[in-house]
Amino acid sequence: MNLKWRVIGLETHDAYLNMALDEAVSEGVRAGSSLPTIRFYNWKPNAVSIGYFQGLKDEVNLDVCRELDVDCIRRWTGGGAVYHDFEGEITYSVIAPANIFPKNIIESYRLICGWLVRGLESLGIEAEFRPVNDILVKGKKISGSAQTRRGGILLQHGTLLYGLDLKTMFSVLNVNRQKITDKMIESAQERVTCVCKHSDAGKMEVYEALICAFTEGKDYELGTWSMDELARAKELAEGKYRSDEWMYMR
Amino acid sequence: MIAHSKKVKEGKIVKVEVEVDDVIKKLRITGDFFLHPEEVLDDIEKSMTGLKKDVSFDTIVLKIQNIVKDHNSQMIGISPESIAEVLREALK
Repeated sequence: MNLKWRVIGLETHDAYLNMALDEAVSEGVRAGSSLPTIRFYNWKPNAVSIGYFQGLKDEVNLDVCRELDVDCIRRWTGGGAVYHDFEGEITYSVIAPANIFPKNIIESYRLICGWLVRGLESLGIEAEFRPVNDILVKGKKISGSAQTRRGGILLQHGTLLYGLDLKTMFSVLNVNRQKITDKMIESAQERVTCVCKHSDAGKMEVYEALICAFTEGKDYELGTWSMDELARAKELAEGKYRSDEWMYMR
Repeated sequence: MIAHSKKVKEGKIVKVEVEVDDVIKKLRITGDFFLHPEEVLDDIEKSMTGLKKDVSFDTIVLKIQNIVKDHNSQMIGISPESIAEVLREALK
């Protein structure tokens, strides 16, 4: 069976609507009212997202976030804290029935991260998937992803670093010293990289490379959100993702 | 409240915060791991309350394994053993 996909081109929303759209589409795909969807997006204002299981105050310097007008959000997916810089990254989501992906979670990460790897390769950047959920270039992390499976639907979203603003990144995140020590790495510069350090491609060129790689061999249409999806996403953004109950859940 | 965290052998960070006298009164597990479905962690936390402070590693593992099995859930970057190890270290 050739599955029909919908692709939503690069858009910009705030953190709350971005995460709410992923959940609204998951509900839509489950109900049969939304097509399996691949989307690309940016975050404005800049934002920190934390994993479902992380403690907000453990991970985020809330005072600095307020000072710099950086939003904070708890994701629907596990994993670690990420700083989403409007200029410095492209985020993607893949939302589709889980049964079209390998049952083994690592293998399903490998499959979807493979699309990113191929996109980077088309820009001349040699990249590799490193389980659980990272993509590395020359041993440094350039992309991280997170996945959840609920009600038979797989949602994987992740970010590709285009540029690096380490100063802001480390001022808004409470860096876990243990993690750094464990990896015996002196500084973040040595473990994180970005597209602009390996290619002259502009951000739009990178996005186009990603769209090509993500849609290769797929039956797809370039689509938009339905009114129902947008209404549900706005409801989730305000009622769930912005709420203190959700934010301070852990 | 005792807090203890470590990077476990499966690769992710596990932090436990535990309120305890003779028995575990409250437990909170946080970290950058994955667990599907996510809500199962609430059940794991609740299952630890009432356990004696000197509860064995094996008992903790068994309790977590049973919950994981009952919910057909999957852990990525952590394991029942890793959670038990961090909790045991916190309770020392």
